[in-house]
Amino acid sequence: MTVSRRDGSTGQDVLRRVGEASVLVLISLADGPKHGYAVIQDVKELAGVELGPGTLYGALDRLERLRLIEPLPADDRRHPYRITGPGAAALRLHLDSLERVTMAGRLRLQLGGS
Amino acid sequence: MDNARATRLVETALRCYPARWRRRHGAEAAELAALLIEDGTPASSIACSYLAGAAREWLTSRPAPRLAAAACALLVAACSLGLSAGLLASAAPARAASTSQARDRTHCRTDTPAAVAGVTPATSRPQAIIWGAGHGRSC
Repeated sequence: MTVSRRDGSTGQDVLRRVGEASVLVLISLADGPKHGYAVIQDVKELAGVELGPGTLYGALDRLERLRLIEPLPADDRRHPYRITGPGAAALRLHLDSLERVTMAGRLRLQLGGS
Repeated sequence: MDNARATRLVETALRCYPARWRRRHGAEAAELAALLIEDGTPASSIACSYLAGAAREWLTSRPAPRLAAAACALLVAACSLGLSAGLLASAAPARAASTSQARDRTHCRTDTPAAVAGVTPATSRPQAIIWGAGHGRSC
């Protein structure tokens, strides 16, 4: 789905169809590289969502296929991942889109008096 | 559940992944599971998560997923056609019988075959439709 950016340009919101888990993983990696266990802990803390390990690896593989994240050299047996430039751009675009929807929803709730 | 049993359960679930995935993530996934079990996550829920992930992995990492999807669609279409043909074939004798009986009855009316939802007429001739009778046998 194509969404308009605030600067008037348009971009493809690739995160719209990847699922909530992938978006949460990308948000977790936005402030620096992490390995799987750290991502699970971080997502639990920031969103209250307990990612199952199978879901985590599915999300990591999907994001890597889309080149939104990349693996770093293994630290012992753990592979840290980091967000790529296109990954950060895609996340920004997706969050902007969510923000617009959130604001519209809040506005409608106010207008409706709920 | 003791540690050895939990580890075995998780290892069994991890064996369900494709070999390519296990080569890449296997060791790390086992270590991650051990850490989660230490944190108090039930081994069964970890194993379930890995099993679901393995199923997804098999479904999405096929060399030609579109070809597989097309093959599945063709198979479903063939089965549907076969089922429809079978239903029509089994319904034809009953319809013929009810048609011949209906000619002698006054409370049956003639209508177009299109009035029967979901039944494709075998001929373009108008057929006798028996209203109020399930199979036409009471008519």
